[in-house]
Amino acid sequence: MGEWILFGISALLLVTGLFLMLSAVIGQYRFQYVLNRMHAASMGDSMGLGLVLLSLCVGNADGWLIAKYLLVVLFVWLTSPTAGHLIARLELATDSQYQDEMEMIEK
Amino acid sequence: MKKNDSLWQRLCALDEVSWENPLDQQLTAATTDEPDSELRRRAPLEFAIAEAQHEEMRETLYTEEQLKVSTLHSWVGRKGKKWLDAAYRLTAILFCLVIVTFLMTTVVQLPPFGAVDNPTNNEVAQRYLEKGLEETGAVNMVAGMILDYRAFDTFGESTVLFVAACSVLLLLKLGEHSDDEPSPAMLEAEWDDRHHEPKNDAILQMAARILVPIILLFGMYVVLAGHLGPGGGFSGGAVMGAGLILYLNAFGFQKTGRFFTYKTFRWVTFLALMTYALLKSYSFFCGANHLESGIPLGTPGAILSSGLILPLNICVGMIVMCTMYAFYTLFRKGGM
Repeated sequence: MGEWILFGISALLLVTGLFLMLSAVIGQYRFQYVLNRMHAASMGDSMGLGLVLLSLCVGNADGWLIAKYLLVVLFVWLTSPTAGHLIARLELATDSQYQDEMEMIEK
Repeated sequence: MKKNDSLWQRLCALDEVSWENPLDQQLTAATTDEPDSELRRRAPLEFAIAEAQHEEMRETLYTEEQLKVSTLHSWVGRKGKKWLDAAYRLTAILFCLVIVTFLMTTVVQLPPFGAVDNPTNNEVAQRYLEKGLEETGAVNMVAGMILDYRAFDTFGESTVLFVAACSVLLLLKLGEHSDDEPSPAMLEAEWDDRHHEPKNDAILQMAARILVPIILLFGMYVVLAGHLGPGGGFSGGAVMGAGLILYLNAFGFQKTGRFFTYKTFRWVTFLALMTYALLKSYSFFCGANHLESGIPLGTPGAILSSGLILPLNICVGMIVMCTMYAFYTLFRKGGM
C-alpha cells in the first residue's frame, strides 16, 4: 500500500513537472518579446525541473541518488536564474526601444 | 526640370545601370549654350515655346522609360523570382533524394547490429579487452586505449588543438605584442570590451564565487580520475576551461590577468606538449627495441597506477583548458 502511495505521488509530481516543461516550450514560441519568452523558459527550468527531480527523489529510496538529484536541482537553480538575469540585462542595454514593450518604474 | 532630372536619376539608380540618355544630353547642351536668362531676355516667346516642347518631349520619354523599367522590374520581381524559387526547390529536392538513395542503399547492406561475425569484432578489439588491463593498468579501458595503445593519435589531436589556437592567435591577435605598451588597436578593443561587458554584476559575481571553485575542482577530478572511470584530459580540460571563462565573465580581465596571461598560455601549452612528446617518445623507443621501459603500472584501480596515462591525461587537460580559454579571450577582444 505504502509503495503505491509513493508511486502515485511520484507520478503526479512527474506529470505536473512535464506539463510545466511543455508549457514553457509552448510559451517560448508563442510570446513575442524577449522578456516574456524568458519568463516562460524560466518556468520550465525552475519549477518543471524541480518537480521532475522531486518525483524521482520520492520514487527512489536510495540516499545517494537523492543527494545527487538535489545537487542537480541546486546547480540548475543557481545557474539558470543567473543566465536569465544576464540576458535581461543585455536586452536592457542593447534595446533602446524597450519602453514600447514595458513600463519602467523609476525609483 | 529639376524634378524630372531627379526622377531620371532615380530610375537609373533603380536598375543599377547608369546609362546616359543621348536625348537628355542634347537638351542639356542646347540649353546650356547660352545662359537661360540671356535667352529669355532676347526672345521670351520663342524661349517659352521651346521650353514647353522640351518639357513635353522629356515627359513622354520619361514615362516610356519608366514603363519599360517598371515592367522589367515587375517581371524580375514576380515571374523571374517564381521561376528561380521553383528551380531552387527542384534542385534541392533532387539533391536530397540522391543523397538519401545512396545512404539508404548503404544502410541496407550493413551487417546486423551486434552480430558475432561483424568486421568490428576483430582481433584488435579482442586484444584490447582481454589484455588491456594487464598491459596498460587502466581500469577505464577507453583511457588505456587512447593514451597507451593509440597515444600517438592523441598526441596528434592535442597538436591539432595547439595549431588551431595558433591560427586563431595569428588571425585575431591585435597589434604588435609588447608587455609594457599596448598598441592603439588593443586599447580600442579594450575600450570596446569594457563598454559591452557586464560590469561588476553582483548576481553573476555571487554565482561565480560559489560555482567556479566547484567547477575547477570537478574538472581536476575528471582529469585525474581519467584512468579509473569515465573522464580524461579532453572532458576535464573542457570543464576547467569553462570554469575559467565563467570567472573571466564575472570578474573581468584584470582579475584573470593576475594568473593567466599570454605568457602563461604559451608556457603551459608548450610544456604540456613537450612533456607528452618526451614521455611518449621514451615509451615508444623502449617498445620498439623490446626494452623494459621501467615505468611501474601499479595496482589497477589505485589513483597512482597505469603508468604514463595519468601524466598524459594531465598534459592533455592543460592543453584543452588553455585552448578553450584562449579562444574565448581572442574572440572577445583579441588578446589575453
